[in-house]
Amino acid sequence: MSALSDLNMFSVTGRERRLTVIQGDYAVNSDEGVVITTVLGSCVAVCLYDPVTMLSGMNHFLLAEPLPGHVADPSALERYGAFAMEQLINGMIKQGANRKSMKAHIYGGASMHGNMSDIGRSNARFARNFLDCDQIVVTKEDVGGAFARRVEMRARTGQIRCHHISMTQETSAPVFARKPVVRQNVGDVELF
Amino acid sequence: MTTRILAVDDSPSMRALLRNALVQQGYVVDQAEDGVAALEWLESNQPHLVITDINMPRMDGFELIEALRQGDRFQDLPILVLTTESSEEKKARARNAGATGWIVKPFDPEKLCAAVRRVTH
Repeated sequence: MSALSDLNMFSVTGRERRLTVIQGDYAVNSDEGVVITTVLGSCVAVCLYDPVTMLSGMNHFLLAEPLPGHVADPSALERYGAFAMEQLINGMIKQGANRKSMKAHIYGGASMHGNMSDIGRSNARFARNFLDCDQIVVTKEDVGGAFARRVEMRARTGQIRCHHISMTQETSAPVFARKPVVRQNVGDVELF
Repeated sequence: MTTRILAVDDSPSMRALLRNALVQQGYVVDQAEDGVAALEWLESNQPHLVITDINMPRMDGFELIEALRQGDRFQDLPILVLTTESSEEKKARARNAGATGWIVKPFDPEKLCAAVRRVTH
């Protein structure tokens, strides 16, 4: 497979291991049988695939970027797109992927509530601009709308399936219910 | 005197974020995409500070610090590491290589600039 592609042809079975990516988190994997998955509303997930190393990666961020002066706690910065993108791309590179051969998909950025429409749009725009600036080719976007999405990515092949979930359907959405990841040492400055 | 900073990161987006934070405080910021590009730039330039990422292609941040500390010219040049890495092992490696400080991303612009002021004055 030379690039990320839609996954309309595979079904997730009980034998497959699922890696769920929650808010502020990311996953990089290339194992056969692993499906990286997340559930999105106005959040955005960027999926990266490097066909050379057969590495897949996915992040999940809540907000594009902080407004000036709105960051009281450095750990809050983890919710934002720049850190999520940095983590994901670095995670891929550390495992041998090359930025130049990576292909990207962007999912999410929905308008789940009327007053959050700008958040979703802003998230998607941020991801698009970041990837463009980093010269990573975006081969597919499925963003916007007024519905949640469940994204599933096969780690070995980079194949992706994105389900649209209407608000009337069951959306127990573990991503919404679980606590965001909190890392230690965020924003720490230590002079030697 | 204007303080000149070399920002080394393989992500153009991250370089732009770093540059924006520093330029707003009056610093002049030059950029390099990895350790090799940084060393090439440093052959003919003398910044007051280098801020470098760790994970980069061709030459990573550790190798860059080690290369700079090998000669006399950059012995006193402050070098801050700005990275998503937070392990004590990697921090110790940076310290042993000759880094001046260690900042864990995502960075708080105010804390970053405070650290820059401390190491450049």
